[in-house]
Amino acid sequence: MKTAYIMQKEIKESILTPKGFLWYILTSIILSILSYLFLTNSELSLLDQGQMLYMIMNFITALGILIGLVFGADAFAGEIERGTLEALFLSPASKMEIAMGKLGAAISNWGIIFAISLPYLFVVGKGGQNVLTGIVYLLILGTLLAITFSAFSMGLSARIKSMKNSLIISFFMFLLAGAPIFLSAALRRTWFGRILDLINPFADAINTFDSVVIDSQGFSYQAGRVAIICGYTLLSLWFLKRSVSGLEM
Amino acid sequence: MKKSSLLLSTIFLAILVNYVPASAASRVAVSIDPPSVQANMGDKITYTGTITNNSGKAIDNVIAYISLANVTQGKEAPMDLEDWSANKAIKVDAIPPHGTYEGKWPMRLIDSGSYVAYITVVDKNDNIPISSMMSHLEIKRILRLNPNNVLPVALGEPVLIGIVFMVIAFKRRSRVK
Repeated sequence: MKTAYIMQKEIKESILTPKGFLWYILTSIILSILSYLFLTNSELSLLDQGQMLYMIMNFITALGILIGLVFGADAFAGEIERGTLEALFLSPASKMEIAMGKLGAAISNWGIIFAISLPYLFVVGKGGQNVLTGIVYLLILGTLLAITFSAFSMGLSARIKSMKNSLIISFFMFLLAGAPIFLSAALRRTWFGRILDLINPFADAINTFDSVVIDSQGFSYQAGRVAIICGYTLLSLWFLKRSVSGLEM
Repeated sequence: MKKSSLLLSTIFLAILVNYVPASAASRVAVSIDPPSVQANMGDKITYTGTITNNSGKAIDNVIAYISLANVTQGKEAPMDLEDWSANKAIKVDAIPPHGTYEGKWPMRLIDSGSYVAYITVVDKNDNIPISSMMSHLEIKRILRLNPNNVLPVALGEPVLIGIVFMVIAFKRRSRVK
């Protein structure tokens, strides 16, 4: 109940504000440009429908992670810097309830991004293969990744108590997670690339999207990667719990 | 004149009799199926390569891979099969004497034009790589240009979110007042 109240308060303060809403306008503008280019540019439109859907899904996932990281970095360090954490701690809610409320708000944010992206996904994937399955996977894996990265960033924010520093570290983590995008296909096939692909939750997600949407492979192919992502989610929640319980004024 | 014609014919015949194609001389032979394909862009096809061990001894560690060359006039070039999702080479551990191995190469057709596909087998004990006959591939151009579908969403959604944004801003302002 208290968690729900904190979550509602966070959503009102961070998401349902004109400034918070700018994220969503920008998200929809970027998605509009991308999908328009995919479907009208003669070079890009040579791509298979599944390939276009896969690329849009990767972009939406990355965007969800990025926004989750920013929300997470602000969660405790931002409250400390604004001098509002003391008042929050004086409320009847426990530290963990506060953390869960803030995490809930971050996940709601991902939910809004996912809802915004739905019309684009349907338009880009129209007539293509595995559109609905791909969208279900995006919802599940995107939510798990949003929890993972937001919880990690929130834990970091509670430990470091500096928004700037926790944001910088979170961005480094984001770049590390996005490393597969920068590596060539040949490099990804080396033992190092394969290990990096396997232990990296973001790479696991994009490889799952590839496998589901483009290669039409079933859940048995995805189980291992989904399990790794679930493992990271639990690990980051544990990290958040440890970080918040040690948080002192 | 007759003598020289006879001599030339004899030489030609001798060359013809002695000429043995590489695939026949080799203990490995490879074939590709289907021999020709007509498809549309975006379709998925599968090439099947059959590797036959013609010798009485088992062969091991043979590598087989598919190649694709664009033969459209003015666009002649070998293709990077990574984009066509068919870049995987197959390593065959062993083929028994006079046995066969069947490999499959699924391929997504991402561009139009005339192509030839062939499968090559590399045996480390043989200096000559063995290639199959060429399979002719004709891909019809299909452009997925549908701006009419994307435009309402691409223009409408940012506008819709903008309206919600303005409503929130207006409500906030009136609450402050």
